[in-house]
Amino acid sequence: MVHPGRRSEVGTPHAEWRARSGTFGIAPPVFAAEAVKLSALRPVTLVLSRELALTALLLLGVSFVVFVILFLAPGDPFSVLLEGQMPSHEARAGIRDALGVPKTWYVQYVSWLGNLLRGNFGTSIRTGLPVFGEIVRVGLSTLYLTLGSMLVTLLIAVPIALHSSVRGATPLNRPFTLLAYLVSALPVFWLGYVAIYLFSHTFGVFPLVSAASATADRAWLYSLLPICVLGIGNGTVSEVVRYLREELSRVMAEDYIRTARAKGASVWRHAFKEGLLIPMTEIIASKIPFILGGAVIVEQVFNWPGMGRMAWQAAQDRDFPAIMGIVMIAATLVRLGSLLQRVVYVAVNPRASKQRRGAGWAE
Amino acid sequence: MTRYSQIAGEGRDASDLPVWRSADTLDLAYVGYGLLIVALVLVSYVLGVFNWLPHDPEQIRFDLLNAPPGSAGHLLGTDFLGRDILSRLIVAIQAYFLPGLVAIVISLVVGTTLGALAGYRGGAVEVLATYFNNLVDSFPRLVLILLVIAAFKADIYYIMIIVGVTGVPVVASLVTGKIAFLRQKHFIEAAHVLGLPSHVIVLKHILWYHCGPLLVIRATIGMGEAILIETSLSYLGFGVQEPMPSWGNMVQAGANYFFQGKFWPSTAPALAILLTILGFHLLGDGLNSILEDRGGK
Repeated sequence: MVHPGRRSEVGTPHAEWRARSGTFGIAPPVFAAEAVKLSALRPVTLVLSRELALTALLLLGVSFVVFVILFLAPGDPFSVLLEGQMPSHEARAGIRDALGVPKTWYVQYVSWLGNLLRGNFGTSIRTGLPVFGEIVRVGLSTLYLTLGSMLVTLLIAVPIALHSSVRGATPLNRPFTLLAYLVSALPVFWLGYVAIYLFSHTFGVFPLVSAASATADRAWLYSLLPICVLGIGNGTVSEVVRYLREELSRVMAEDYIRTARAKGASVWRHAFKEGLLIPMTEIIASKIPFILGGAVIVEQVFNWPGMGRMAWQAAQDRDFPAIMGIVMIAATLVRLGSLLQRVVYVAVNPRASKQRRGAGWAE
Repeated sequence: MTRYSQIAGEGRDASDLPVWRSADTLDLAYVGYGLLIVALVLVSYVLGVFNWLPHDPEQIRFDLLNAPPGSAGHLLGTDFLGRDILSRLIVAIQAYFLPGLVAIVISLVVGTTLGALAGYRGGAVEVLATYFNNLVDSFPRLVLILLVIAAFKADIYYIMIIVGVTGVPVVASLVTGKIAFLRQKHFIEAAHVLGLPSHVIVLKHILWYHCGPLLVIRATIGMGEAILIETSLSYLGFGVQEPMPSWGNMVQAGANYFFQGKFWPSTAPALAILLTILGFHLLGDGLNSILEDRGGK
């Protein structure tokens, strides 16, 4: 990783002076120790409980939106059940009564929500298996894909952002920025084709068909390809670069960094938390929805057995329970991501228990 | 404001922004490229609507399958059925043009209303607006669209309503932030003192005079997003169906031939997507650094 506190001095008139002061070595890992200081713990629990309540409230809203969409959808299971048999309205109502279906929408909602909370997401129309178990089974491979691709995105974006915000104008700056723009506009499915063609046909590194047919020792290698493609092509690279650069430049101009610099302390150590760690968690948390959306396409291209492929299949078959379960789980993942971000934010910055940062980042 | 770079004596200029941003020529180049792409899209849309095309986009020629660019009068070659790729690319703009505008209008109108109410009224309205924004942001856009496709049908206008609604939070939070910034200004205070009604202050003095650039920028970026969604969905097989062309289903249709080494039929639409989305992004960001970041924050 680039070390901005040091690299910014290279070649400047002050470099020699700083080298003599001897405090610009690599920062000792004091960060972890500070984060678990007792004084910082109380606000964490405080904010955590508030954020948990907020998350629950938002997930309630999510479930309501999903319910409304399904409620408004044309056709219901009864019209399938009664197809061509008892067309009269009374017969239909009678069947509903006999099967114990609640009449009003809110009773329906509450009973549906109760089932959700007990982990009963219904059974898939296509496979006849419980949806929840199936999502958990494929969800793990999606989680692997998305987390890996986040890492790839960061590995691309962080060096570019560090380079341009710490070293200012260098000849590499413009090509990097343009590259980030280009990469963000690449259609990820085509990028997938190019990657498959290059690695399977030309280099012969990966098996073409799927992860299942790969030999055991090559399986993990094969999984790297979709991860890299999603990491590069999820369309968030340029925004991540821009956000990190803006935040890091802002922090580098703060008075406390100037003070640190003046008294010869490590700039990197002082700038890391606010300048890199917090923006990184913020931007990643806010980009989880995009990465999950990109996973739908990448899983399709690479035949990756994940949630995205399941969602695609469910939309093809109009498999309500499956797609509903996937939406709920995906929204839960998004909320958990931002919950985690808040926890990191408060752990790093205990003052934050008093304030709440606005949501208007990144654009 | 003094910069640490000045104190550190690194000889950078006193600009508040990284150098590539204050370099106006680059921003102008971005905007120029973006405008070129917008003009190209507009012209192609008109050409497609009036059917002024180099070839019939659905004319099948078995003697010219997967022809390379420039062969036999086909400027961009032909696809796997020998249809002219250039004509199909032009016609395919119709797949996203009007739906994309619908999505933009929805997100701008709803977002501005919500943002203005939240920013100007504050209090409970702001809490509600924040809740709404967070709620919408909880859904991965593509997954929510798949839910709507499963529940209703794969109609592009339904899809674009979802794209519009999911674009609301960004617009709303931008407008709210802008209003929070403007409210401290003397001219708003003066308007209050003059006794102007709130709706005049919000509509005229805040939105009309000061939010124009912001909304134009959002609209261009929104168009880029709409194109991305439309092409992704038609790639997945939910949007425009064969034989109607869309950039997404053209990439998909060329896929089999791609792995046989005939890259062009699927690369041409992919390049169209790349260059167009790049154009809208660069236009938005170039305008943003020229118009919005000018005065600093």
